[in-house]
Amino acid sequence: MDATAPTEPASVADGELHVLDPRLVPLRRTTGWIAVALVTAGTGSFLLPLLLFGNLAGPAHAVTLATWILLTLSLAVLLQVWPPIGYRYASYRVGQEELEIRRGVLWRRILKVPRSRIQHTEVSQGPLERRYGLATLGVYTAGTDHARVSLPGLEHGLARRIREHLQPRDGADAV
Amino acid sequence: MPSERRLHPVSLLFNLGSVLGQLFFPAIVFLFAARSADSAVNLVALAVMSVLAAAVAIGRYLTFRYRYEATELIVRSGLLFRTVRHIPYERIHNLDARQNLFHRMLGVVEVRVETGAGAEPEATLSVLPRDALDEMRRRVFGLLAENAVATSAGPAGRGTSLLELSPGELLLAGFVENRGMVLIAAAYGVLWETGALENLLERTVGNTAWSESVARRVQTSLGSGGGLPLDGILLGLAALAGLLVFVRLLSMLWAVIRLYGFELTRDGDDLRADYGLFTRVVASIPLRRVQTLTVRENVLHRLFGRAAVGVATAGGAGAAARTRRPREWLAPVIRKPRVPGLVGEVLPELPLDQVAWQPAAPGAFWRAFRRRLAVSGLIGLAVLLLVRAWWALAVPLALGAWALVAARLHVKHLGWAMTGTAVLFRRGWLSRSLTVARLGKIQAVELEESPFDRRTGMASLLVDTAGATEAHRIRIPYLGRETAGTLLRGLAAEAAGRAFEW
Repeated sequence: MDATAPTEPASVADGELHVLDPRLVPLRRTTGWIAVALVTAGTGSFLLPLLLFGNLAGPAHAVTLATWILLTLSLAVLLQVWPPIGYRYASYRVGQEELEIRRGVLWRRILKVPRSRIQHTEVSQGPLERRYGLATLGVYTAGTDHARVSLPGLEHGLARRIREHLQPRDGADAV
Repeated sequence: MPSERRLHPVSLLFNLGSVLGQLFFPAIVFLFAARSADSAVNLVALAVMSVLAAAVAIGRYLTFRYRYEATELIVRSGLLFRTVRHIPYERIHNLDARQNLFHRMLGVVEVRVETGAGAEPEATLSVLPRDALDEMRRRVFGLLAENAVATSAGPAGRGTSLLELSPGELLLAGFVENRGMVLIAAAYGVLWETGALENLLERTVGNTAWSESVARRVQTSLGSGGGLPLDGILLGLAALAGLLVFVRLLSMLWAVIRLYGFELTRDGDDLRADYGLFTRVVASIPLRRVQTLTVRENVLHRLFGRAAVGVATAGGAGAAARTRRPREWLAPVIRKPRVPGLVGEVLPELPLDQVAWQPAAPGAFWRAFRRRLAVSGLIGLAVLLLVRAWWALAVPLALGAWALVAARLHVKHLGWAMTGTAVLFRRGWLSRSLTVARLGKIQAVELEESPFDRRTGMASLLVDTAGATEAHRIRIPYLGRETAGTLLRGLAAEAAGRAFEW
């Protein structure tokens, strides 16, 4: 996909379903590690003193410790296993007249936003996304539940080209 | 060049009033908190605060200007932080005028200008002389409507009256739509804040021993399987009934105060609602700004052959929701046979009684039933475990039967339809609602498959519009997967093909 980056900006609106950038998986995993570290630090900061200095009876002590380790480990495993699954079920399609986004593993959603309803668009890049060369496309509508529609996991240049395509043009709709 | 205008001079008074009002509670607390030692210091502080408040009020008045340009309204305000707001006339969705008792005595109005942008009014002009409001309406909406002649024909009484509500109807509206609890909650909030509640409770209830003793007796008798303390229960039920009646009465009274003299008129391409006993409100909604329309009927509505009709607009939905003032209702109460006529005024292209309703997918009943059965099973089990008596078996049985009936009726009353110009959704069996969204107002369409949907080959479809509060939401459940896919593509294509006009 890096090969196609600099050529023909019009080709983003090809009306085909595309998968997201595969670098989204390591990005999500990294985010997962950070989350696990934060949760471990947070729960550990009150559990460890309790375990070390509290007067819990023998079995309660062991059970608490085991539960804590088990829960933290399962969270860590989940956050490593989930990103590729989520990635498999996420895709998008940019057509001449609309943007379509598919996502969700258990609850699967297909969202269609007509281009004429887009109020404005943005491309944002967090520090982690920048490391992986990814960006998030944000599309704003006047709707209620979908006032902001975001599509993460696009290569930065591609996100900007899609944005260019979706950007409302002057006079295209009479508000 | 267009000249700058100021607010009416009595604005000063109202500004001062509102600033002092904000100071009132802090001042009271302040005075009572330190009653002993340095009261002189406190008084000085209060005086300084009042002077500051007055200065703020005067500053607000002096710096507030507005003027009409060819295509936009320009509002300037602020002394230190200057704001200049350009509001193009064609972006203005609502012009709401409010007059409370003081405004009416002085012949002025407070005007709120709303655009499609979110919750807050774009500008609040507090206060203007009456004729300035008429001029604003003429300039703002006169440019929009081709028939500006009709708009400028004269003050009150123009246009065709669509609905007038007599005090009797309003009493009925208050009875049917119970808003008494809102009032009680508000009163509770005020009492709580002033600390009057504790005194009141102490004086009226005295000690809590009585209610505790009843609760304990119920508990013990349930546990032993003996007789129930009937006297206590009856008394409690009577008190509850009394409270419910009181709340209803309050709701009726409130409906009359809030909506007194309600009149809905059509004035060219605008709808105008006038209402209010003490605070008069004049709300204008250009017809083309209507995003969705909803007809609601609860059990009492149906008993009296009435319904309520509301529209959602893009502007001010958030504010209305926050202040619990659903200004967007077109008809707080209306006779059922007149509903199609009223809907026809707003959506002339849609004959409501000729819509071909589509039912939910065939397997919908089983899913609705299983869902209710699971819930009633859990409740029934809990009751059985708690009571442990043979008669308690009746509870899960009754709940199961209820689940069957409720699921059947719920699914029977689900329906959707797509006409050439709008998508419609109706739901509910005891409380019914029917929502219409024009295709041109659709913002996004989403198809959702839950794990249950996938097992049964179904999906639900969400049609997103601007200003869709809970009452106006279109989320069609239990659609066949194929149907949902077709609808998704069709609606998105229809919406894409139409320019959105807010």
